[in-house]
Amino acid sequence: MTLKAAKDEVYLDLQRHLFKEARMLSAERYDEWLSEILSDDIYYRMDMPQRRFREDKSAVRAPAKTPIFNDDFASLKVRVGRYKTGFVWAENPMNASRHMVSNVEVFETDEQDQFKVYSVVEFHRSRLNSERKRFTVGREDRWVKSENGYQLLERLMTLDDSVVLDSNMNFFL
Amino acid sequence: MENLDDLIDFKTGRQKRLIYSDAEIYDQEMEKIFGRSWLFLAHECQLEKPGDFIRTYMGEDEVLVVRQKDNGLKAFLNTCTHRGNRLCKADHGNSKSFVCNYHGWSFSYNGELTGVPLEEAAYQNNLDKSKFGMIEVAQIASYKGLIFATFDEKAPSLEEYLGDMKWYLDVWLDAMPEGTELIGTAMKVELPVNWKLAVENVSGDGYHLGWAHAGAMTVTAESDIAGLSVGNSDVDNESAISVAGMNGHTVLAALDGKSGYAFYNEYQMAWDYLDQNRATAVERLGEIRGEKMWGSQINFTVFPNLQFLPGLNWFRIYHPKGPGKFEMWTWAMVDKRMSDDLKEMILNNVSRTFGPAGMFDNDDGDNLQAATEQSRGWRTSQMDIYTNMAMGNEHSREGMPGVISEGLVCEQNQRYVYRRWLEMMKADSWSDIPFYNNLEEARATEDK
Repeated sequence: MTLKAAKDEVYLDLQRHLFKEARMLSAERYDEWLSEILSDDIYYRMDMPQRRFREDKSAVRAPAKTPIFNDDFASLKVRVGRYKTGFVWAENPMNASRHMVSNVEVFETDEQDQFKVYSVVEFHRSRLNSERKRFTVGREDRWVKSENGYQLLERLMTLDDSVVLDSNMNFFL
Repeated sequence: MENLDDLIDFKTGRQKRLIYSDAEIYDQEMEKIFGRSWLFLAHECQLEKPGDFIRTYMGEDEVLVVRQKDNGLKAFLNTCTHRGNRLCKADHGNSKSFVCNYHGWSFSYNGELTGVPLEEAAYQNNLDKSKFGMIEVAQIASYKGLIFATFDEKAPSLEEYLGDMKWYLDVWLDAMPEGTELIGTAMKVELPVNWKLAVENVSGDGYHLGWAHAGAMTVTAESDIAGLSVGNSDVDNESAISVAGMNGHTVLAALDGKSGYAFYNEYQMAWDYLDQNRATAVERLGEIRGEKMWGSQINFTVFPNLQFLPGLNWFRIYHPKGPGKFEMWTWAMVDKRMSDDLKEMILNNVSRTFGPAGMFDNDDGDNLQAATEQSRGWRTSQMDIYTNMAMGNEHSREGMPGVISEGLVCEQNQRYVYRRWLEMMKADSWSDIPFYNNLEEARATEDK
């Protein structure tokens, strides 16, 4: 499939959105994320990776992919609601987080005003005493341009680690 | 080595913190507990066809579990018998041979060494290949779909090892004629925690639910689990039981027949399933298990490191990686007869509650990590901690095996887990390890 690159103006607009979103998520401004970034029809997914042989042909019988995140707007709101209870002890004191977004590519799609956006996120967390945690994911997004500006419609993420190396994933990427 | 009796006191519910941090004690655990117990390897459903394999651990030893041509099962150490390299690097898959990346020795999936490069030119055909097959575990056996193995040829049979715990395990494993399956792949998380702290938590600690998980419970609890409340403000201990005294295995169970699905946001689909199949469960399991336990929130612990929770439907094994670290692998588990929609809902709910980004699981890691670290100091390692809640409530109940205390909020089960730990740590061989499945036997075998 050949993808047609979006116009520079669209590219810059969407990159601005990605950076703005990253700053929002690092600062845990989750209500703004829900209301300003996400479409009400958001589909947000990350699967657990597996190590398989390249030549392994047993994929048909292999178990279905297992999601780490498999969320719609309602369930993301539940996750955000948990942080807002003030009872998530692991997040108090607040952990320092940085979302670094790079490798941004923007393409047109068959749907008018919908764009496919590839990016890579390197996520750093500084936790507890001397703990530095790092996650890297590839993201495949679908953004839609509506009268309210650009909104995120779909985000499919690939986590690189086959074993999660942090005691929680109390964050969004 | 410390005096073992100084580490655990069953009578007062005391543990010395050293057991969570000391390297020498950990090495002893690998030998005396993980080297001798029946350890969970895989579910039968994960190894359907000949050549299907799973790479897992027994203690810190890597093993490959492989379905054989005759449909039997074998488990091998995942290591080349030549120079010790790892044989298989994939998590699971299907293969008729395992070829070492180092010098190219190749082993059939039945374990035989079949190919040695330069066998004639370099070994002058003097290598007896029959003596260099993959090394098998001492015993392998299944109980109603769950495959276990032990490194100890003198270990009792799996049936005897599980003892009367089987009566409780059947609430999940044998309620439906088609049995159970694990769906999805393992969700793996590495935690800087001593393995025992995770096991004791799930074995009996209903106390932490309303507090440690207050945030998650506030936003997910659609119904009640044995009266547990957010913030630990109240509890109804009459409607649930803690069961232990079965060779170290434990059960924590609500008795309402439906609370297992309390943390699902579409629990009606699950409750409909329970209604539609209740008669079958009662027919197969009888009134107590079929009516009161099937569908309830239940925590099962098979000593030392397998835990699964019907209702919340997660299934978990802990692989220790040193005194201060383990990997935990979690799957979603379902009845085979459930609809695809219900299975998918369960898989999603397991991810949302107890996966790597699960709202409940994400509350536990830091607490258990800190308890591990606070057992590592020169002073803290000498300190004691206690599981001394609800001492003296232990009793027998007609028609139910094990030692029973009321309630999910009760520390009886943890005391029995640590008792088993000490019994195994002290014993030179299996003949020195006591067996008990009820209050009378548990008292008769108690170390005086």
